[in-house]
Amino acid sequence: MNVFIELLNAEFLIASVRLATPIILASIGATICDRSGIVNIGMEGMMLMGAFFAAWAAWKFANPWFGVLVGMLAGGLFALFHAWATVSLHLNHVVSGAVINILGFGITRYLLELFFGHPGTSEIIPHSLAEYRFAIPLLSRIPLLGPVLFNRTPIVYMMYVVVILFVWITRKTRLGLHIKAAGEHPIVLETLGISVKKIRYIAVILSGILCGLGGAYLSIENGNSFSEGMTAGRGFIALGANIAGGWTVVGSLIASFFFGMVDALALRIQVLGVFRVPSEIFLIFPYVAALLAVAGLVRKSRAPRALGEDFQIERSGT
Amino acid sequence: MRKLTVIFLLSIPAIALSGAGSKAVGTAVQERIIVGMATDANGLGDGSFNDGVYAGLKKAEDEGLIEIRLIEPASMTDYVPNLSGLAEDGAELIFAVGFLFYDALLEVAPNYPDTMFAGIDLFYDSPMPPSNVLGINWKEHESGYLAGVVAGLMTREYANRSDKLNDENVIGAVLGMDIPPVERYFVGFTEGAKSVNSDIEVLSVVTGTFTDQAKGKEATIALAEQGADIVIQFAGLTGMGIFTAAQEKNILVMGADVDQNHFAPEYTLTSAMKGTTQATYLTTLDFIDGNFKGGGNAVFGLAEDAVGLAPFHDFDFVVPSEVIDAVEQARSDIISGAVDIPQTRDDAGI
Repeated sequence: MNVFIELLNAEFLIASVRLATPIILASIGATICDRSGIVNIGMEGMMLMGAFFAAWAAWKFANPWFGVLVGMLAGGLFALFHAWATVSLHLNHVVSGAVINILGFGITRYLLELFFGHPGTSEIIPHSLAEYRFAIPLLSRIPLLGPVLFNRTPIVYMMYVVVILFVWITRKTRLGLHIKAAGEHPIVLETLGISVKKIRYIAVILSGILCGLGGAYLSIENGNSFSEGMTAGRGFIALGANIAGGWTVVGSLIASFFFGMVDALALRIQVLGVFRVPSEIFLIFPYVAALLAVAGLVRKSRAPRALGEDFQIERSGT
Repeated sequence: MRKLTVIFLLSIPAIALSGAGSKAVGTAVQERIIVGMATDANGLGDGSFNDGVYAGLKKAEDEGLIEIRLIEPASMTDYVPNLSGLAEDGAELIFAVGFLFYDALLEVAPNYPDTMFAGIDLFYDSPMPPSNVLGINWKEHESGYLAGVVAGLMTREYANRSDKLNDENVIGAVLGMDIPPVERYFVGFTEGAKSVNSDIEVLSVVTGTFTDQAKGKEATIALAEQGADIVIQFAGLTGMGIFTAAQEKNILVMGADVDQNHFAPEYTLTSAMKGTTQATYLTTLDFIDGNFKGGGNAVFGLAEDAVGLAPFHDFDFVVPSEVIDAVEQARSDIISGAVDIPQTRDDAGI
């Protein structure tokens, strides 16, 4: 019992926040994309692009803030490819998403050689965002939660803003309403004179920007360099979090944080060596958790009605 | 149109993944032994195995002993044709770099019985390879042992020499996948630490991945929280995370495979290295002297100067001469056989 009390300390919660941040960003990206009716399984590839370009820009211009910007831009532009393939070319969403993932890995690897001259790892960036960690006055003095949530690094704070912003967008704004309509009854939206195509493009690109930010977090805030395949499956965990969270922003947030906690817990149990079991047991922890969460929660939630459905309006001459 | 688009989309990753196209380089010098080198998909410039092997061959070429034929694959599907091409080109000895060549070597070698093949980082046991194939391996446990000696002494006896060391007698290791070379490194590290500090606690985390920096970082932080003030990585790219974790927790770390000091010079005590250059050079010399024997494996260690410790760099003035003496003692004990390092956890009883 003591072991568990020892585990559940502030350090553990901080590790959970660190591990959950990129997953939260990507899963909210997945949510916003799915809600518009476009299936997104390409978060892994988009995150990799974000991570690579963020590290490259932060290294090239010796400015991590510029890195964040370029990382988000790269994620958004890469998502534009997904939007073009699915919305304009009417390609199967899952196929396009799979291509995005493979491409993301291939391109970043290729560019790593091209820009840095060697595979493996990029150069160390001169300044990482970890240097800009700051405590928010007053809030950071709250017992336990203060140091855990309000003495963090910039992208973690940006993640809070993203959560609030997207809850607001989906619940209170016209754009949010349009995105949801595009995913439920696109034909209704179109007959109201609003372009489903445009709304879906916006949603997919927003999702790419969020994935890019999640990737940037990995390479220039949590780490200080880009290395091949550094997202290591987080895009797929985010996919699970989005589904387990019932295609809602808050649901994605909670599910992602849960996965972050499981990850942090698995490492700590291993270090303490309390259970003498093969290490493989701990390695499958996050995936088993994802599986259980999806299997247990998905029945209670409902996917957007038009999710994955192609939307095509016949027009003469096109 | 849609079908074409799909084909187009699917073809991009193939192009993107392929990297630089195939190219063969050679200098025309007559009557020298031609030695072929087939890189893995990373190609030259990887700062690791490929560059190391090439440097070893270059050394032999500069001494006028051989002539190098180099071929880099566009993708993994080129492995077999590249090996065959080198053999037909007249290469008498061919180095295949990296464990992905395992099957390709077994496939090609029987077709060219007069050509010898050396597989870098390949270990063949069941079935044993054809008589013209040699697996080349390292005694990772020996360099791990030396790193362990340094860590074992610094964490307790000389903890006052750096503000990054604490009073607790605990060190840690971040492991990638639990494959034999990683296990050898780790067991050697543990044994080395215990040899100079019998009640030391060596904690470890298996991350199960060689690419996840963030997980490597969290694992290091988790180790530091339990009092580990020196953490070593045997985790490939996952191990990159220990350098950022060291800055965050203000502890010392050690690299692996090559000298990783430049990733965090103020925190990196040393690195446990294994060198492809020396192993390649020695294998080539063996071949020239007619001592090359296939059908099994060659293992390179301290005695061949193919594994060892990286320099201390900034820590030259932190690490006392007693530690350096202890490392030298361990080195000569290993070479003379006075110390026999176990290679698996079961053998070591950990």
